Amino acid sequence: MPPLQYLRLIDVQARMALKADASKFLLGYLWWILEPLLYVLVFYVVFDLILDRRKADIIVFLMCGKFPFIWFARTVNQSSNSIVANVGLIGRVNVPKSLFPMAAVQANLYKQAVVFAFLIGFVLFRGYEPTLGWLWLLPIIAVQYILILACALAGAIAVVYIRDFSMAISLLITFLLFTSGIFWDVRDIGNPDLTELILLVNPLAFLLDAYREVLMYGGAPELEGLVRNALLFSALTLLMLAYLRRTSQSLALRALS
Amino acid sequence: MAPQERKLLLELDDLSLSFRTKRNIFDHGMHHVLEGISLKLYQGETLGVIGRNGCGKSTLLRLMAGIIAPTGGEIRFYEGARSALLTLGLGFKKTLSGRDNALLAAMLQGATRREAESSLEDICAFAELGDSFEEPVSTYSAGMRARLGLATALLTNVEILLVDEVLSVGDAAFREKAQNALKDRISSNQTVVFVSHGDAQVRSLCDRCIWIHRGKIRSEGETAQVLADYRKWVKRRKRKRQAKLEG
Repeated sequence: MPPLQYLRLIDVQARMALKADASKFLLGYLWWILEPLLYVLVFYVVFDLILDRRKADIIVFLMCGKFPFIWFARTVNQSSNSIVANVGLIGRVNVPKSLFPMAAVQANLYKQAVVFAFLIGFVLFRGYEPTLGWLWLLPIIAVQYILILACALAGAIAVVYIRDFSMAISLLITFLLFTSGIFWDVRDIGNPDLTELILLVNPLAFLLDAYREVLMYGGAPELEGLVRNALLFSALTLLMLAYLRRTSQSLALRALS
Repeated sequence: MAPQERKLLLELDDLSLSFRTKRNIFDHGMHHVLEGISLKLYQGETLGVIGRNGCGKSTLLRLMAGIIAPTGGEIRFYEGARSALLTLGLGFKKTLSGRDNALLAAMLQGATRREAESSLEDICAFAELGDSFEEPVSTYSAGMRARLGLATALLTNVEILLVDEVLSVGDAAFREKAQNALKDRISSNQTVVFVSHGDAQVRSLCDRCIWIHRGKIRSEGETAQVLADYRKWVKRRKRKRQAKLEG
């Protein structure tokens, strides 16, 4: 399939999936914003009202953590199951298998664009001054996109071979929910070495911290970390795409049997 | 024209497919789906594939469509021929409209977005959907769904069309419509491989036939001859079974 046609197909698949999803619910597309907002509300109730952990501007703090995290979690979860979920299609037409995780990634990208627009609007509404430094958001979002792409493709391949990975991936995402500094601040641990370590080994923690640094504190992300993650996950993405291309037919047989 | 004088489009050379079946971590078995299949397909001919359920017919078509790869032997395409399965309702989502589903299915079959969009009105007309084309497919009757599926499937534009039991869904009116559509294709020099249980369909559509039994070609040649062989075998098997039951 020519590359441009392939990209169009990903786009149409993604849009149709979003349309089909939205039509299932009374509130339709409104859920794109409602779902992340309700998550933030839950975290707010637990950590601010019940646990009384006083943090400056907790709502924006939680949004900067939870919104990007939901993007990651939802995409990786959906993509991981996307090849096995489309086994009916795979048995009938010879399409590139990357189509299924890629379409899930694309659909969630469209959703997230709306969520990020809302986040910016909300931050402005809270009285933060927009600065040129906010342009840092673009590379941060790009790096997160690459991270998601790599994990989505890897997850999709793993689940074709061993279905049990689907469970493991859900658990791993829950683990990341607690270890990426969504409702707590990596910088508040009180042990700088541990902070450094978390930011080094957990790319999500690094990115969430970067979002806050730019949006809340008017700073810049650590460039070295940004480049390192971009290179690492670009390489992984390319590797996964090459693998999917090479094993397209045996993956189909695997998914079918 | 004798098949030998026509252009060769596809050749299967000693094709086999087997895979490990996995019951659990400790128990592996080898499952041979197809073994030693060799055949040639010429331009413009319609090849029938018969055999009972589970003999490997559908797997053979999947191999020819390039969906899966053989574990042994080779598949060779000539003259730049491409192949695809004719399938009804590819990737249909119930909550989407007939129009959206048709667009999606057409693109999955390899149409560009522009080609897919420009064929939507034809699809609507062929499927006799009228205003229902804009309604979700979940509101369609089985017949409407089958017609929409067929209309989009017929867009498949490849040199070798692989047809697997498409004509056995829907009501009598649909089956007639589908068979006529397929006949049109065949008379326009389309190369077709056709899998069916129905004798009448194979007899009326196919020039040549192969009978697959337990993953191997048991008989091949003129449609009438192969069908007769197959029928004889079915009868004999029935008699044997009956004898077993009575004895």
